[in-house]
Amino acid sequence: MSLRLVINGEDRVSRAEPLTPLVDVLRDEFHLTGAKVACREGFCGACTVHLDGQPVVSCLVPLGTVEGREVRTVELLATAGELSPLQRIMEEHDVVQCGMCFPGILMVLTSFFQEHPRAERDEIKAALVGNICRCTGYEHLVDAAVALAKRS
Amino acid sequence: MRAPLRHERRDLSYVAISRIDELRRLDILDREISIGACVTHAEVARSLGALPECRALAQAAANSANPAVRNVATIGGNLCASAFAAADLVPALLCLDAELEIEGAKGSERMTVKRFLEVRTDIEPDRLVRRVIVPRTTRRSVHIRLPLRKAGDYPVAIVSLAATLNPAGVVESARVAVGSVEPVARRWEQLETNLVGQSLDPRRATEQAERFCADFLGREGVEAPGWYRVKVLPSLVRRAVLALQEQS
Ligand SMILES: Cc1cc2nc3c(=O)[nH]c(=O)nc-3n(C[C@H](O)[C@H](O)[C@H](O)COP(=O)(O)OP(=O)(O)OC[C@H]3O[C@@H](n4cnc5c(N)ncnc54)[C@H](O)[C@@H]3O)c2cc1C
Ligand code: FES
Ligand code: FES
Repeated sequence: MSLRLVINGEDRVSRAEPLTPLVDVLRDEFHLTGAKVACREGFCGACTVHLDGQPVVSCLVPLGTVEGREVRTVELLATAGELSPLQRIMEEHDVVQCGMCFPGILMVLTSFFQEHPRAERDEIKAALVGNICRCTGYEHLVDAAVALAKRS
Repeated sequence: MRAPLRHERRDLSYVAISRIDELRRLDILDREISIGACVTHAEVARSLGALPECRALAQAAANSANPAVRNVATIGGNLCASAFAAADLVPALLCLDAELEIEGAKGSERMTVKRFLEVRTDIEPDRLVRRVIVPRTTRRSVHIRLPLRKAGDYPVAIVSLAATLNPAGVVESARVAVGSVEPVARRWEQLETNLVGQSLDPRRATEQAERFCADFLGREGVEAPGWYRVKVLPSLVRRAVLALQEQS
């Protein structure tokens, strides 16, 4: 079988089975290894990508339901080598530890800030309930996100 | 999707229905709200957030799971996952007197959510939940859930409350639904009866809930023992009544 989808603005054809989790297609077939696989249960958020502009857990999305839809991964955040403002502030605050949770956190916060650019600390925390950081760097990363919200 | 991880066999077939446009429609009409089975939790929360009479459903949808799950989890899936006791939308729909339209090769059928919960494990695989119908009335409603973490967790117990008050603040009708405590959500009719004819009073409601909560047999689970789920019910009832008072 072959299935057409749009990944990071490019038309792609996947040969994987329709029930293959989207995250495996991204990583194994298209070598976009930004989205991580950790729990495969929808709990940790490491695999979060955007589907038609909204964050989804790609471990629970069957490839077959994505046909013709627009997938964006963390690889797209830095355009032409320029980090996005969110990525930049995370770097400035030296937030990343092992980095396993980070692509998911960036994808969730990117869409959250589009809708709530001036969000308060509590709202930012609520937006991140589906992102587990095993290095437990939560407060630090929320500090950075708050700093970004204050700038806008 | 999670079967391989759990060393379970995948179902032999999987029929995706998410691209059927009609199932993704949400229409707010004068007398009812019609929600297609494939409408996601995020869309329910977004579309119904401003309607006071449906607040229980909007809150249930907005606070369940986490943002990236709410963007894919559907109302139909929440209703049909019969092995899942902690479903948030189910008690919210029970307290709003919602009905379902079920479609099959032999025609369509309409039934209350209460009835659906009684028969759902026997429903033939050739039948689909097509849409959810929520009647519009002047009631106020609220959804109170208790996860063990502040958010992003399954609720240990849920109380959804809907009530119509007369101008003097006396309860004319009440619906209380309890979720996640027993394997299947259900109405708490004894408490409902005792709320009617009185003004909303958190203390009295809590006392009544304490008196009647032996009605429930809590399910054991890794996150909480059965007795705990029952024990917290009076507190959730108090929170629900307080929240409803604030709305009125
Ligand atoms: C990390 C995580 C956290 C969660 N937390 C919560 C929570 O806090 N509260 C909560 O309520 N839920 C929670 N859930 C569960 C989730 O909300 C439900 O599983 C979801 O609503 C299911 O929707 P779905 O479309 O994915 O259904 P599916 O998983 O696709 O379907 C579930 C079942 O229903 C059947 N089905 C689906 N639609 C129909 C239909 N229209 N007609 C007939 N049968 C149908 C399917 O065949 C299947 O058997 C959580 C899930 C995850 C992964
Ligand atoms: S791997 Fe998808 S949520 Fe954890
Ligand atoms: S930085 Fe290691 S898991 Fe979050």
